[in-house]
Amino acid sequence: MTRTTFRTSAIRNWSRRFFLTAAGSIAIAAAAGLPVHAQDAEWQKVIEAGKKEGTLVLYTALVGQPSTKAIAEAFTKEYGIGVEILEARASEIRERVRVEQAAGRFAADVMFTSEGQTMLYDKEDKSVDPLPVTPNSQKINDRFKLKVPMASVMTIPYGIMVNTGLVKPEDEPKSWKDLADPKWQGKILSDDPRAIGAGYLWFFSTHDRIGEDYVRKVAAQKLSFTRDQRESQRRTARGEYSIYMPVILTDFSDLKGLPVKFIIPEEGVPYVLYGNVLLKKAPHPNAAKLYLDFLQGPVVQKIYASLGYGPVLDGMTEGLPADVKAISEAKLYGTTDTTRQNEMLAKSKDIFK
Amino acid sequence: MTIIHNRSLDDINDTTPVLGGNAITRAFSGGSLTRLIGMLLLILILGFLTIYPLSMLLYGSLHSTPPGMAGEFNLNGYRSIMTTQNLIVLVNTVGISLAKTIPSLTIAVFLAWIVARTDTPFRGTLEVLITLPFFIPPILTAMAWGMLANPQVGVINMAWRWLTGAQDPLINIYSYGGVIWHMCQYSIPFLFLFMVDAFRAMDPSLEESSRMCGASRWTTFRKITLLLMLPVLTSSFMLSFIKGIETFESALFFGLPAGIKVITTDIYEAINHRATPDYQYATSLSFAIMGLMFLLVIAQWAILRGKSFQTVTGKGFRPNVMELGPWRWVTFAVCVLFFLVTVVLPVGQLLLGSFFRFFGFYTYDMLTLEHYRAVFSNSEFWRAVRNTMMLGLLGATATMALGAVVAYISVRTKWRGRSLIDGMAWLPWMMPGMVLGVGFLWAFAMLPGPIPIYGTIWALLLAYIALGTPVAVRVMTGSYHQLSYDLEECSRVHGASWLQTLWRILVALAWPAFAVGWVLTFFGIMRELSASILLYSVGSETLAVVLLKLWANGNAEQVSVIGLMMMLLVILFRWVQLRFIKARISKL
Repeated sequence: MTRTTFRTSAIRNWSRRFFLTAAGSIAIAAAAGLPVHAQDAEWQKVIEAGKKEGTLVLYTALVGQPSTKAIAEAFTKEYGIGVEILEARASEIRERVRVEQAAGRFAADVMFTSEGQTMLYDKEDKSVDPLPVTPNSQKINDRFKLKVPMASVMTIPYGIMVNTGLVKPEDEPKSWKDLADPKWQGKILSDDPRAIGAGYLWFFSTHDRIGEDYVRKVAAQKLSFTRDQRESQRRTARGEYSIYMPVILTDFSDLKGLPVKFIIPEEGVPYVLYGNVLLKKAPHPNAAKLYLDFLQGPVVQKIYASLGYGPVLDGMTEGLPADVKAISEAKLYGTTDTTRQNEMLAKSKDIFK
Repeated sequence: MTIIHNRSLDDINDTTPVLGGNAITRAFSGGSLTRLIGMLLLILILGFLTIYPLSMLLYGSLHSTPPGMAGEFNLNGYRSIMTTQNLIVLVNTVGISLAKTIPSLTIAVFLAWIVARTDTPFRGTLEVLITLPFFIPPILTAMAWGMLANPQVGVINMAWRWLTGAQDPLINIYSYGGVIWHMCQYSIPFLFLFMVDAFRAMDPSLEESSRMCGASRWTTFRKITLLLMLPVLTSSFMLSFIKGIETFESALFFGLPAGIKVITTDIYEAINHRATPDYQYATSLSFAIMGLMFLLVIAQWAILRGKSFQTVTGKGFRPNVMELGPWRWVTFAVCVLFFLVTVVLPVGQLLLGSFFRFFGFYTYDMLTLEHYRAVFSNSEFWRAVRNTMMLGLLGATATMALGAVVAYISVRTKWRGRSLIDGMAWLPWMMPGMVLGVGFLWAFAMLPGPIPIYGTIWALLLAYIALGTPVAVRVMTGSYHQLSYDLEECSRVHGASWLQTLWRILVALAWPAFAVGWVLTFFGIMRELSASILLYSVGSETLAVVLLKLWANGNAEQVSVIGLMMMLLVILFRWVQLRFIKARISKL
């Protein structure tokens, strides 16, 4: 079964289950004659207005993910609102939004992006609106309620990948610290830590938590650098290197059948928090609010958990296969801080010359 | 060889009877107001396509913030690029580009000569086959060469170790050599396409005269053949060298692991890998490079000025095909070797890999047709195919039409402003694609509201025309340089209108160049990503955008399936071009 098929069917299954549950709950509540709160009435107005708007324009910096389309379909099924999706890499999509707004072309409603990018959208470009309070926004884990105006949706976890043909089980690194062992010299393929990306995320997290000495020891391992994450996984699988780091752990299901193993380091996983922002003067503001809420609800949260991403709503990993559950529940180790990026990039370039 | 002074239609007008005819004839044959309006219109079109986006980028380089943001004018961008580090990177970049352009040009000339001027067997088929690498997305050939020539487990190195028992690898693709080799894969077929028809359009009488005067074959080749091809050679050298300066994929894929840095990776980093994209730095660096490149273009003008390279005259001739005797099998072997190394090796990997779950894991249980099924059942892919075909057909035709007019005026008239339009048509080639893409975004988005370009498929079309114009003009310029003015003179003396002359003489005789330019432009559009990703809108996705999405999600095998389909399309186009159109146009 291909990845796309697997994901789509998984999403459909989760959606079906949720819809049945939701429909049942509504029926019970209606039967019991519960009073409708004012808040609910307000939200009902948003739902009605969103349905009238009929369309939502979504920009996303997460390129090529089948889950985006599947979630959009689930949203359309829920509210009858069509979703138009435009994908581009983070810097490209950010510049599009900025220049569109500067020219008075308010084309997009919602942007799916990272916490770091949101800060730039908010502080530098001033292209986002404050977050609306929605029913589901109150229910997410407090850790993911942010100061920046982003409705958190999920975390992307990063770990270590080894070639099982080249690394014996007893030799496998178990922690980030193990990568400093001289036995790995010349055997590690690493995402480039000198540029914004996964390698930099690893550098930032471990530099802050383990220390500069550790990072310098890893730098002395004669790392080979790359900036193509997916191809690097294949290169490691083919035996060019023993270790690839940091790897997107959720990719493990795509590589089943290859001689590789994904390792969750003992310290935890560096992560990138993704979520939605409401863009300024969104042409479909109510549909946008519904979308923000929908992605923090159990339907989408279970979809992401089933793919190994970290959900922001608690209790979403029950019943998942053990390997998926382990990744989805992996201890979050650290992420980057946009305010320190120039300083840390300079440091990384100094260490990894 | 006698170099004669160049003649233009204006000279002809001075010496021939005044022709009657329609307004178009008069417009393009005299110094009328209509001609002036025609030129102004052309300058306006080129200005909108090239100067306007570049002026937005110039603003970006002189302003502390990009268009639409509060800031101030300053020279900080230009100050920040003046570093020793950047100078070293520039020297490195120029060195790499020269190291790939010179051997590429030499090989391409040799291959073009074999195909066009010798009796090498199957040269018609070889002409199509040896150009194929140019049309494969670079990321795919990079992946294929990574699998073939990585020092650890590359197929070639494994075979070398097995055969010789050596421990060290034979080749390492992650090196300067690897970067240059990967670039050569694209520049050799590109240069070959540029030159092969110029070799054909050569009156053998000049070479025969040289031989009769006692010159050796080598001297004749050097002093007659190559010198007559000077416009094509210098044009193609310039295009290839400048493209080498701007090439990005090879350096990123094979240079990064070896610590090789070039200008474009620096620009890419400034836009994509800093906390906030530094457009002022990126655009300043791009303009500095552009300034240097323009000096080269001026040098080319100086080399060609005042000389004639006419080889296609009113006299009937067939290009002299050299009979090589048994040596023809040697030239055949050279072509086959080139085809094997540059096409069969990498494309074989792609073809083989497309039938397995994962590239490089060729076991029975991994066999699958899933990648083909996934591509063919992907509705977004088919929508992108429709969009790209439409944009390709319209874009390539419009670009070549514009290029032909610009080249005609630039080469075959002495109209005031001809150098201006020729220079304007060069500009997009000298700006790295990823920066020019941003220029188009700024330019089209900042147009006044009522002009409905941004957010439509027309924004893509206009960007593609601008990006393709330099190649279109160079292809047609090379061809027009070779056509004798006697042909037009003769046509017009016999009463043919300007349009009839254009069609019967300039189109009929220059069609091979037009067709080659069209194919180059069409597939340039198919592969273009930098502008596409910034300008496409929902529903107007192009094939390159779909390829990016698939690649970003780790579907390299599906990307290969699409790459292979693109190659089939190339073979089809080239077959139609070489067999069908050739037969029809020759009857004109």
